[in-house]
Amino acid sequence: MSTPYTDALTAVTRQRGVLGCLLVSEADGIIVDADVQVGIEAGVVGALVASLYRRARLGTDAAGLSAVGFLQLEAERGHVCAVGRDGLVLATLAEPKAQIGLIRSAMLHALEAV
Amino acid sequence: MRAYVAEAWVEAPLQRFVDDAHVQFALLLHPSGQVLGQFGFTRAVDVMAACALGAAIHASAGELGRELDGHPFRELYHAGRERQVYIAEAPTARGALVLLTAFDAESSLGLVQVYFRELRDALRLAAPPAAESGPALDGNFEHDLNRSLAVLFGRAQQPVSGDPQSTRPPA
Repeated sequence: MSTPYTDALTAVTRQRGVLGCLLVSEADGIIVDADVQVGIEAGVVGALVASLYRRARLGTDAAGLSAVGFLQLEAERGHVCAVGRDGLVLATLAEPKAQIGLIRSAMLHALEAV
Repeated sequence: MRAYVAEAWVEAPLQRFVDDAHVQFALLLHPSGQVLGQFGFTRAVDVMAACALGAAIHASAGELGRELDGHPFRELYHAGRERQVYIAEAPTARGALVLLTAFDAESSLGLVQVYFRELRDALRLAAPPAAESGPALDGNFEHDLNRSLAVLFGRAQQPVSGDPQSTRPPA
């Protein structure tokens, strides 16, 4: 089933090493749309990443560093990336070997299209 | 801050929920309105009022769901200007329990839902068999309610398992 956000999410998930991409409301942590591999608990990831992004944004604001451009978490078994705009957060899960530069570019373009 | 409970088996799950979800207030109650645990309240009268209102809202939402959809609504969410309220049902071996929680911008609906699911699973595992712990509500509702409130606010001890009369407030 296609949604208004399908094209934007697909542009990110077709990057090599991407495990899933979610569009989440920053304030509520509720998923607007998601395209993730089987086994990923999208609801849990979405709520936690939205909360993390929100706190990062508040942190950079408080530090006088302006908006968060791109948030990346590096874990033992992969990456969590997030960009946000207008109360929405685009979050991507990727494998350790994924090209983060390409994913970042795709995410920023996708966010423009949302 | 710590959660206060009338029965020991709900303490760990409720404490974990309030720690993880960063909620301001939480109440765990029977659908009848009898309180099992609370976090964030300082006065017994507030707990009593919130329990009565929460139980009534939960019952109303359940009936509304049955009328509209054939099934009771099990979750209810209300967004206020500064605070949000979430009410949801957790089935256990002792029957359904109701969580009523209020939170502000420090948390979010998504987080509260995530940690409520963990709370629901933990309560299901921790619940003693119904026969062992006795009925949630017998004929003496007022006595049970006062006893729970006394335990929550330190005026009585928690009941020993299988001995619901052991929490009478000291004379």
